[in-house]
Amino acid sequence: MDINELKRHSDLSFDRAVAKKNLLSRAESELITVYRDHIFRADPITIATVRTLMEHKDSFFLLDANSNPVEIKDPKQFLAQLVERQQSALNTYHQAYQSLRSLKE
Amino acid sequence: MQQGVLIYCFDTPQVAYHRVANASMALVSKYLDLPITVITNQATLSWWQQRPDANYVTIENASNNTKLGLPWHNLERCEAFDHSPYDRTIVMDVDYLCFSHKLKRLCDSAHDFLIHDRAHDVSHRQALTYERMSMLPLVWATVLIFSKTERVRRIFDAVKLVRQHYHHYCNLYRIDYRNFRNDYAFAMAMNQINGYHVHDVIPDSIATLPNDCQVLSRDDHGIHYQYLNNVNTITNQDVHVLNKEFANV
Repeated sequence: MDINELKRHSDLSFDRAVAKKNLLSRAESELITVYRDHIFRADPITIATVRTLMEHKDSFFLLDANSNPVEIKDPKQFLAQLVERQQSALNTYHQAYQSLRSLKE
Repeated sequence: MQQGVLIYCFDTPQVAYHRVANASMALVSKYLDLPITVITNQATLSWWQQRPDANYVTIENASNNTKLGLPWHNLERCEAFDHSPYDRTIVMDVDYLCFSHKLKRLCDSAHDFLIHDRAHDVSHRQALTYERMSMLPLVWATVLIFSKTERVRRIFDAVKLVRQHYHHYCNLYRIDYRNFRNDYAFAMAMNQINGYHVHDVIPDSIATLPNDCQVLSRDDHGIHYQYLNNVNTITNQDVHVLNKEFANV
């Protein structure tokens, strides 16, 4: 490999890394959802917490994205909303990521 | 409760901001589907091919601020509480391009005042880190979402006070950048109104395209941009474009 070839590979890797960071930041924005007037992130921690708590209680309390307490009265509906939002964001990310990977070497 | 978007737009001899606003407003209509009110001046309006779905209000704007030695008409944003005809308002910079429904979702929350506390350079060269040279947690006044409550009126009143005594507050918070800047003014007002403690924010980061990045093309879904020899794309994500030449693409 000569220096020009190395530089070309390095530039391509850099572009991919930047694109991946931007896709992640887009996914982060897409995870934002509003439930009962409060802002949540539909991230794995929130989903797992809701799933765990609803096994023990019909309603419970959770902290929103700004650490304000919220009473979750209908966990099933909330969980469905979280899962839909999270999967929508990750599906978009997945599609874009596949395109990114297929960029010609 | 009526929701709407408020945009401030004043042309300068160097930049036809109304062209920038046209690009932004088309995306607001597509993604947010909310009524738009534009606060502008007579000189700008005289050049403007007005959109039928927007309401244009003319004022005599203050014009004594500069950025890099050029006119910078950004002193009116603290009047947004009074200028807005809506119960729930999204104020955005003319160069903030909506390519998602995010702001509409946030508008449905009960928070009476929301602002970002993070922004990042999409070219990932950390071009925005210099913004942190101050003694207070910075916020980005690029987008504000507010309801007309008494608490929010106090926030805007505090920003007006900061604007009036800007150099004093810059000294207080050790801000080197002395031209009036809304990011700092809102940061100082929020810091004081909230008793020097944290406040609720929009929990993501504003994707920002630095001034030295050139927009090559744009459509309803995103932009292609270039810096040095690198070409990249942003789609389906809101982006704050600092290089105003994108309006001519």
